Amino acid sequence: MLIERGYKKVRPLAGGLDAWIDAGYEVEVFEKAS
Amino acid sequence: MSKLVAYVTQYGMALVFANVLVEQIGIPIPALPTLIVAGALARDGKLSLSGLIFAAAVASLAADSIWYALGRRYGNRVLKTLCRVSLSPDSCVRHTESIFERWGMASLVASKFITGFSTVAPPLAGAMGAGLPSFLFYDLLGTVLWAGGGLLIGFIFHRAIDDVLSFLEGMGTGALYLLGAGLLLFVLYKWWQRRRFYKALRMARITVEQLRALFEKGEKPVVVDVRAAGERLRDPRRIPGATTMDVTELDAKLPGISPEVEVVLYCT
Repeated sequence: MLIERGYKKVRPLAGGLDAWIDAGYEVEVFEKAS
Repeated sequence: MSKLVAYVTQYGMALVFANVLVEQIGIPIPALPTLIVAGALARDGKLSLSGLIFAAAVASLAADSIWYALGRRYGNRVLKTLCRVSLSPDSCVRHTESIFERWGMASLVASKFITGFSTVAPPLAGAMGAGLPSFLFYDLLGTVLWAGGGLLIGFIFHRAIDDVLSFLEGMGTGALYLLGAGLLLFVLYKWWQRRRFYKALRMARITVEQLRALFEKGEKPVVVDVRAAGERLRDPRRIPGATTMDVTELDAKLPGISPEVEVVLYCT
């Protein structure tokens, strides 16, 4: 959908959030309202 | 009229049960054609309509209850495994959760009519903590409507279906080869579609190391958490600076993002 709207550089993150956490990189926490 | 019809009449109930069970487990062998043929035979008085609905309901509830129990026990891990073998693994979890959040347990009814979603909905209901009585009620309602619909089509168009069965009978064993070849082609097509999708996805993906390197270089890609709201509530962690964007929010949020900037999307 983003590409259809003209965004040229759209990439999914391989492994998603789990891969980011498993790699030991820092995370933030969403506020409850989000 | 024929050996073929006699065979289907003899094993019709078992065929419907087996086909519905197999489809609900997740194997891509559609049960609808079987239901339609069974409906036509029921119209001709060769099979019991209520018995067919009962067989379909028992088969569907059996398979769905297993998925539901797995969803309750293992949560999103089951869903991710299922979505991994689906056509659109990246959007699968997010998409199905969005449907579920929007429609609640009623989506179990609608799921029976949506290819792919019918297998994903029961474990999703389990993962989202739906109660067993409520799950059984909506799942049964959906199954009866779906199976009843297929049987009804056969019931209404029984003459046309009888003609097709007669034609197949005329082909002798060739009919079995034709049906087998059709099924094989269908499964091969699905497999090829998925393989092509994965190839395209692998080429387009960014790894966590590459994203981290972008941050360290001072580049500022827009990182978007595309998980459904319910999933974010269950696990509120996010990649630093990530924003959220639902399909319904595209018009509101996209104007603030330049089309030239790199956008990285992630789910679980």
